[in-house]
Amino acid sequence: MIGKEGRVTGRIGPGLVGEVMIAVRGGVEAFYAHPVDPRDEIGVGTIIVVVEYHPPRTVYVAPAFGA
Amino acid sequence: MPVVVAAIAVVVAVIVLVVLFKMVWRVAEPNEALIISGLGARSKPIDGVDSLGFKIVTGKGTSVLPGFQVARRLRLDSRAANLEVNCVTQQGIPVKVRGVVIYKVGDDFVSIANSARRFLEQQGSMDGAIHELFTGHLRSIIGGLTVEDLILNRERLTSETRGSAADEMSKLGLVVDSLQIQEIDDETGYITNLGRPHAARVASVARIAEAERDQEATQREQEALRENAAVIRDTEIKKAEYEGQVSQAAQQARQEVILKETRNAELEAERTEKRLESEVRKPADARAYEQVKLAEADREQRIAQAQAAATEIQLRAQREAEATRLLGEAEADAIRRKGLAEAEAIKARADALAHNTDAVIAQQLAEQWPEIVEAGARVFGNVDNMVVLNGAEGVEDMLAKALTLGGAGLGVARQLLAGMNGGGQDGGGRNGSVPSTPSLPTVPLETPEKD
Repeated sequence: MIGKEGRVTGRIGPGLVGEVMIAVRGGVEAFYAHPVDPRDEIGVGTIIVVVEYHPPRTVYVAPAFGA
Repeated sequence: MPVVVAAIAVVVAVIVLVVLFKMVWRVAEPNEALIISGLGARSKPIDGVDSLGFKIVTGKGTSVLPGFQVARRLRLDSRAANLEVNCVTQQGIPVKVRGVVIYKVGDDFVSIANSARRFLEQQGSMDGAIHELFTGHLRSIIGGLTVEDLILNRERLTSETRGSAADEMSKLGLVVDSLQIQEIDDETGYITNLGRPHAARVASVARIAEAERDQEATQREQEALRENAAVIRDTEIKKAEYEGQVSQAAQQARQEVILKETRNAELEAERTEKRLESEVRKPADARAYEQVKLAEADREQRIAQAQAAATEIQLRAQREAEATRLLGEAEADAIRRKGLAEAEAIKARADALAHNTDAVIAQQLAEQWPEIVEAGARVFGNVDNMVVLNGAEGVEDMLAKALTLGGAGLGVARQLLAGMNGGGQDGGGRNGSVPSTPSLPTVPLETPEKD
């Protein structure tokens, strides 16, 4: 799970529960997402990388390409 | 026989094996998870986490030992729960919201394990629980949203839903696929009023646009009409020009025809004139000439005839004059001689009278007797019916008397003669005078003049 890339479908930010779509097990599933850095804000459509995975459906993500 | 028995035994054995296999082997469909619990049914520890105490199988088959293990199916399908909430928005406006939440059991083992622990035997009541859960959450979500957000800001709605329901859904091992607000009943008319300015603006814009388009259309239409009229006018003018040219040409043609006809008529008239001249006038002239000539000839002929006649007459007159003269001379001579003879006769009679008067008178009377008797009888001629009395004697008597009267007349005549003889010397000259010789008639000789 960690290291996978995904796409933001719900805005991620402090105080918000974001949503990302990640390809797992041959399908695409939605995961609740929070920023790794609590001050980060990640807009919809941004590509992220999963840094931390909290089962069942929570991931901590960071923007994939720098920023 | 042993072979048949062996075969049957084999078949039976195969059938028994199949039945046993079917009893033992269970297959999980793609949309379900097999929850196997019982003897030896332990999942391998994942990532060092404690085992679940039961086995989860998805998407494949596994053997389940009858009597020792139990397999139950957990559906992983999407489920839908209808929501109906009476709540108040952030602005304090009461609304009645109807919506639907679409959710499913999570596909990962953790979610399946959570769901299985909670809902395996009561999958039918899942919707009710979710309804209750989401009704409460929706109330809190709507309480944090405005009507405008509710209607327009779908991202906000889903975001709030995630924020409020994420943890609980994770606890239940469920995933919310979608939350949809289907209907918002607004008792205060807020939404209606919300739309009204925009509606009015839109309506006004629409009306303005419509009016403008209408105006534009009318303008275009009128322009088109004007152009049409102009084209029609041009066409009419052109047509009239062409018609004028055509009529002019026709008139020219007609004039030419008339000229030709006039010329023809003139020629015809000339021809007729010539013909008349040749047929009527010339013959008439010829006839007139002929008649003149004939008349001249006739006149000359008549003149000639007249001259001839005149000459003839002159000659005849001369002849006749000569003849007459000769005749006259002869007559005169004859008359003279006759006169002389009469004179001698008278002289002789006078002598005789002188010598024998009564004899002469008697002779005279005798000579004149029939006339005398006639004169006397004329008296009786007027008598219609004479009755003579005394018979034949009477007649004789009467005649005698008449003759007596004649005798009386005789006496009278003698007296007269005596009287004449008494003055006979005077009147003798007159009685015995010889008439003078008549002069010869002269015939005028005229020569008819020639005309």
